[in-house]
Amino acid sequence: MASLKDETHWRRLVEECFRREAGVQAPLSDPAQDLIETGVLDSMGWVSFLRALESASGLSELGARLTERIPSFESIFQVFSEAKADSPAVGAKFSEARHAATRAVILRSSSAVVGSRTIPSDEIDRAFGMPEGKLRLRAGIESLAYAHESENELTLGVRAAEQALHVAACGAPELDWIIATSETHRNYPSLSAQLHSQLLARETCGALDVGGACLGLLNGLAVAQGLIVSGQARTIAVITSDVHSRFFQPGRVAGEFGGLFGDGASAFLLSAKHGPTPPDAYALGEFFFGCAGQYAAAIRVSSAPDGTLDVHFDGEALSRAAITRMEKVILDVELRSGLLRSSAEGLATHQPNPRLVSLLAKQLGLSPGKFPSVARTFGNLGSSTCGVALDAILESARRREADHRGPIFLASLGPGLLFGGGWLIPA
Amino acid sequence: MTRLLITEITRMGPAFCVIGLQREKDKIRSVRPVSATANSWMHFPYHRGDVLRCDLAPFSGSKPHIEDRVSTRSFEKESAVPEPEVVTYLRKAEIASSLEDLFGCVLHENKTGSGLFAKPVEARRSVCGTVSQNLRLELCANELRATLALRSGEVLRDLPVVDRDWRDFFEAAVVISRGANRLARLERFLNSQFQSKVLSCPHHFVRLGLTRPYHDLCWLMLDTLIPLPKHDWLEEF
Repeated sequence: MASLKDETHWRRLVEECFRREAGVQAPLSDPAQDLIETGVLDSMGWVSFLRALESASGLSELGARLTERIPSFESIFQVFSEAKADSPAVGAKFSEARHAATRAVILRSSSAVVGSRTIPSDEIDRAFGMPEGKLRLRAGIESLAYAHESENELTLGVRAAEQALHVAACGAPELDWIIATSETHRNYPSLSAQLHSQLLARETCGALDVGGACLGLLNGLAVAQGLIVSGQARTIAVITSDVHSRFFQPGRVAGEFGGLFGDGASAFLLSAKHGPTPPDAYALGEFFFGCAGQYAAAIRVSSAPDGTLDVHFDGEALSRAAITRMEKVILDVELRSGLLRSSAEGLATHQPNPRLVSLLAKQLGLSPGKFPSVARTFGNLGSSTCGVALDAILESARRREADHRGPIFLASLGPGLLFGGGWLIPA
Repeated sequence: MTRLLITEITRMGPAFCVIGLQREKDKIRSVRPVSATANSWMHFPYHRGDVLRCDLAPFSGSKPHIEDRVSTRSFEKESAVPEPEVVTYLRKAEIASSLEDLFGCVLHENKTGSGLFAKPVEARRSVCGTVSQNLRLELCANELRATLALRSGEVLRDLPVVDRDWRDFFEAAVVISRGANRLARLERFLNSQFQSKVLSCPHHFVRLGLTRPYHDLCWLMLDTLIPLPKHDWLEEF
């Protein structure tokens, strides 16, 4: 039964990847046909098709295994079955483990907070010495959420975490790990350690900081999933918190860059699925990650010797990279999960700015309403953008009948250009 | 009469594409001799480093292949230049260290698969040199592909390798007569000796090119990887 299921899965991946390369109308030829010799694909198209298939199937050595074989569908299916037979990487055990992992972890509750000061974007334009209306007209940002002077990464993170724990009626001592991510907290003790102390977690609860900037939430969720599936933990809080307003200040960075960012935090409580599932819970699907180095130069932030920030920000290149790569990640989520993006309850994605979100929605043929409006009212919240968006989608899903809830797509990017995607399904 | 230092001999299918360097006053620039009837040559018995005498006529080739010139008589070998010296000249020709400077335009990612492309109307040339910080070659389903990191930190992935000598070398490495485990041995070579032989070579240099427009896109490829492979290396793995 398992192998039949695998075969159907592989066949679907092969067909979809082939049609992406050869065109949606391209007929699937005789499996034994040499795709290059018969002109169905040229050699570049063949490699491109295989790379897409490697990415979708997780079989990274597909291309290498096809050397000295006829470029045909039959060869691909042969490689899949050989790989399954002799490599644990795609073998039945791995498939089963992966399948188990995708439903073994549930997201019990979530919460999001933003900086308590709401600043109209015109005011930010003035502060950065930009023409009034620039952020609104060029980026689509109406206002930004800025932290009050009494707020910082820790206070926002604690607030989000306490709310998430409260919603799930879960005490902090239940936590086995606190996983924190922030692109602005650069102090020691680290954010996870400070959160651990403030939340009064058990001494034996682990505290871990993960990086990735705007990709941080997905990194954190993937690590948490791994810890729970491996049996190392049962309950984990994943917390994001970013306070850009103290970091990207006028005089330190250009307004075209610094003016895009706001402050916020989010928290998610994850547990092993055991016993009855809470009615509103979502199960974690798979996550995948990578780094598209061709975009490495689009954004770089480092500390200059004089204490200022050295920001290299090629807005145009970054926008292009963000749209292209996000689209690719979302298409990969669709391909890997077998879930249609049109069926998604919503997409919790990175939101560099609202204009790019609209453009992405258009490229994907989706209603902009599938993307919660985060950047428009709060600004780009770094690692918390995805978190605040995810919380908003979960909140709206809770208001719907369980049978009508759809999956949630996750996709984000970080400088590098790091990318990652994943999905959640109603538990 | 033109003197042309041959720097690129690329092979795609049965045909060869050739590029050489031509000195024009203080400048050294790339020139691609083409025949009056085709962009490529079915027979090209010369080597990189050969200095050829030829007659080249201006030719309004389509963008971005502005280097095209029609060869109006047969080539005649005049002399040859050693590999390190070829690189000295290549460094004086078109060169860039970042993605956008390579062809004077934005390079786009293939959304559905692999590879990078330029739009013909945007690209300002079709060949450029660079020094790679790191480089890896691999065989992907019989196709030779390169991934390289530029000095800017940007990474170019999955470029088709069309360098005639490197393609010949790889084909020779996997011929059946070389015995068992040919692919595994080749892979070992690429993961070990390749680093010391190619990347540590003081005159290591790479030339990248753009394909002719295909469905209105010009795809990036690795035209030349210097040092060129030596036949003796086949004895080492």
